[in-house]
Amino acid sequence: MLLRTQQMGQVKQISYRLSLIRQLVLIILPCIVMTACVTARVEDQRTTSTGILAGEGVVIMPKSYHLGNETEAKFTKCVGSALGRGSSRLRVIPNNEFVDALFPWFEPRTVPSDIKGLSILLKEPGVSDMIAKKGVRYIIWLDGDTDKIAGGGTLSCAAGPGGAGCFGFAWWQDDSKYDATVWDITALQSAGTVSANVSGTSYLPAIIIPIPLIARTRSKACKGLADQLKLFIVTDTST
Amino acid sequence: MTSNALITISVTVCLAVLGGCASQVTVNNLNIPDPLIKKIPISVAVKFPDEFEHFVHKEETLGREKWSIDLGRSNTLLFTKLLEALFNEVVVLDDSVDPLDIPTWMDFIDIDAVIAPSIDAFEFSIPSQNQADFFAVWVRYRIKIFDREGQQFANWLISAYGKSQKSTTVSGDDPLHHAAVLAMRDAAALILIQLDKATSISSLSREPLSNVTTNSTPAMSELALQNPK
Repeated sequence: MLLRTQQMGQVKQISYRLSLIRQLVLIILPCIVMTACVTARVEDQRTTSTGILAGEGVVIMPKSYHLGNETEAKFTKCVGSALGRGSSRLRVIPNNEFVDALFPWFEPRTVPSDIKGLSILLKEPGVSDMIAKKGVRYIIWLDGDTDKIAGGGTLSCAAGPGGAGCFGFAWWQDDSKYDATVWDITALQSAGTVSANVSGTSYLPAIIIPIPLIARTRSKACKGLADQLKLFIVTDTST
Repeated sequence: MTSNALITISVTVCLAVLGGCASQVTVNNLNIPDPLIKKIPISVAVKFPDEFEHFVHKEETLGREKWSIDLGRSNTLLFTKLLEALFNEVVVLDDSVDPLDIPTWMDFIDIDAVIAPSIDAFEFSIPSQNQADFFAVWVRYRIKIFDREGQQFANWLISAYGKSQKSTTVSGDDPLHHAAVLAMRDAAALILIQLDKATSISSLSREPLSNVTTNSTPAMSELALQNPK
């Protein structure tokens, strides 16, 4: 009799735990699966033909903050790693490695602002040799950032001895606008520009537990820009 | 619990809370890469003032936070590395040498010029001040150059700027530390590229120069090349 009571207690405990896990899954899963919708537009404007040979690579450079650019370091890193993986992946020379190797010529204050400046810079002793040594064929200049352009709603949270919870609804709209200008070092000319414009609205409804539905505009812009850059550089092999 | 123990705990908690309002940034191990630059074929001596070698900036922002930014020995290391990359020979003068008494000791050292760097101003801004999501640092360096007779030959003022986003940097540094490092690196780049153009220091060479371009007038005025502030 005592044994049967113990067994029933164990069964109840297991079923209680299972129901707790089920409830947690029901709460957490939508947060993972559901993301808010985004609108993306990625386009390129080509001025010359492109192409890349074996051993040649690209370097991703954010435009100088001395010129007011606010491209996030994380975005630069994201585009670099996206270009370096998947089909048609490119050889990406790490940005800091390139900048350090060419110090002081690619610092925010001293970077060439146009192709004419680059051709002058290449005449400096050791510069073109170092670029050749690093195997850089294209410099990709990133410009732009992600901004929160609107938002609203009310969300309040409270905690007490009996527990804690939130109630309300909040929303905000993010806009990610980035341009990537491609310079061909071999041809000494600008090959063109790829731009990504992604906007999306994030929602945060809360009935006891907040359920975030985040519009990941920056990561979408990163992926879109990187995919288009690969096509832009690799597809046209006329050079 | 005794009253002494209670007092000790109270004081410790108070100190911990007050300590939370102070932020300290120390710039150590500044990593400046080997520059890709042509040397200026002259020999120089450099004298680092004590306040330059141990520069600490203290400031209270909006009456809430106390900041202490310690550049440590980074300034000295930065300038030593820069000057060694720029000139044929660099002699670092120790504390016993009076930089104003140049003609006396100039005969004992085979150099063409004396360089005396200093910091004129240091400023920073944090997101709660600038209403943006970045930290910024401005450093104004002054570089005085003396000739072999001890006469001031050039007085060059440069403004360096570093900016770092509020979110964690890729290197994982503290953003204000990162901004300070970028400002010092900015100064380094400017000095490497512009020093001779702005001050004509190469014209102090006692040997005829063949490959060095010099300007006719050195920067005797306070010349700030670029101030992005």
